Amino acid sequence: MKKPFKLLIIDDAEEILNALTNFFTKKKYDVVSASNGLEGLKHIEAEDAAFDLIITDLVLPSISGVAIISIAKKKFPDTPVIAITGWGEHPESLAKEAHADHVLEKPFKLPELEQLVIKLLADE
Amino acid sequence: MSNHSKSKTGPPIVGVSKNMERVRELIEHVAHTGLNTVVFGESGVGKEVVAQNLYQKSPRFGKPFIKINCAALPEGLLESELFGYERGAFTGAEQKKKGKFQLAHSGVLLLDEIGDMSLPLQAKLLHVLQSGGGFSPLGSEKEVQTDTWVIAATNHDLKKAIDEGKFREDLYYRLNIIKIHVSPLRERPEDIPLLIDFYTKEYAAMLNDRHIEKPSAQVIDRLCVYSWPGNVRELQNVLKRMLVLGDSNQIVDELLNGERTSSPTSEATNGPNQQVSLTQIIDLDGKNSPDNQSFSLKSAKKEAVEMVEREIISHVLAKTDWNRSKAAKILKISYKTLLYKISDLNIIPPEK
Ligand SMILES: Nc1ncnc2c1ncn2[C@@H]1O[C@H](COP(=O)(O)OP(=O)(O)O)[C@@H](O)[C@H]1O
Ligand SMILES: [Mg+2]
Repeated sequence: MKKPFKLLIIDDAEEILNALTNFFTKKKYDVVSASNGLEGLKHIEAEDAAFDLIITDLVLPSISGVAIISIAKKKFPDTPVIAITGWGEHPESLAKEAHADHVLEKPFKLPELEQLVIKLLADE
Repeated sequence: MSNHSKSKTGPPIVGVSKNMERVRELIEHVAHTGLNTVVFGESGVGKEVVAQNLYQKSPRFGKPFIKINCAALPEGLLESELFGYERGAFTGAEQKKKGKFQLAHSGVLLLDEIGDMSLPLQAKLLHVLQSGGGFSPLGSEKEVQTDTWVIAATNHDLKKAIDEGKFREDLYYRLNIIKIHVSPLRERPEDIPLLIDFYTKEYAAMLNDRHIEKPSAQVIDRLCVYSWPGNVRELQNVLKRMLVLGDSNQIVDELLNGERTSSPTSEATNGPNQQVSLTQIIDLDGKNSPDNQSFSLKSAKKEAVEMVEREIISHVLAKTDWNRSKAAKILKISYKTLLYKISDLNIIPPEK
């Protein structure tokens, strides 16, 4: 059997993090989830970090999604990153500057996100 | 003390509270990134210590660490201090001057009290950050390119300032790539005994380990229930007073009584400007002790003059409600000299 794709998902909104984690786990992805930027950063810095794709919320306490994107892209330039933003928050342009592969605005449909993930993983 | 210095090493971050541990952990993880950072917290909580620790743990350590207080200068002067100017750029610009942004090149620029920066300057700062550190000094055609790690500090709620139209939202997001919150000391009393211990040792070392009496366990307990409106800076002042005057119990009595009878905006908040003895002002027993290698009449005198100036200017500014032209008249110095002194001596306006 083919090894499942490994995703890192970071969001501080519990219900969103749970929804995303459950959705992608059901779709047979290997999901690592983090509820804040520091936790997410620790996963990225871990020695065995080998994520195929990262999904991060942009507005997070302490270490923002923009920071996550910058740090991840520096360490793993080829790993695609999808940024998701909340309502009335405007750091999209910063996410682009940090080389996020895609910025998705909430609300979005889960299948829409999945299509994006499939596309980015295929491009890789 | 001048408001900037090269590769200055600050104290470690002392404390065992959740907040201090979190702050230390964040520093470990982000110091190498050079990403724009904002340190939030009340006056005297240790925002500058956090900035210094970020710098010390970063690859930029050893390069310049430049600090500027955005609340102390009016817009025009702050702009010229930040970005510099060419000779003749405006009346009084007799020679070319490098801005702090350029002086901090390859190192760190600490923008203290960023919440007090005027909207037009916020726009200019945003532009500089967007362009990756490029700008033209006033009166200059040539663009200078800088690689400066911008760390900002504030005691304002910037979100609220955005709602009130006083702070640009786009600048807020650009600066807040990393956010570090430092809690007020009253919310982490468990740090107080450690801070007392650390600073008692530090002051003792300054006094060449002459026997000094550490506050008793009972005094420390009482200090832990005080609300510390001036945070760690106030604790340092109280500790110094105790070590110099020796009458710890009386000093705690005064603190706790004062708290009961006065509003929280009174004296204690002005921690840095409290009355102290002359020996203490000059720190003759401490940093400027003739027993120290670095002692010289010249340096001790310079420091003493700065401290006396700071004290007097703060006093007159407080009396005039920070009406700077009135204060300048009373002090019999020019308005411009006063503004430079406010900046150089790092005199901070009261919170509005
Ligand atoms: N956690 C800490 N450990 C050691 N010293 C501290 C700590 N927090 C504050 N200080 C000291 O207290 C004083 C005030 O701190 P500072 O960083 O200037 O506060 P702020 O910038 O928030 O006004 C400084 O002398 C600083 O060294
Ligand atoms: Mg400060």
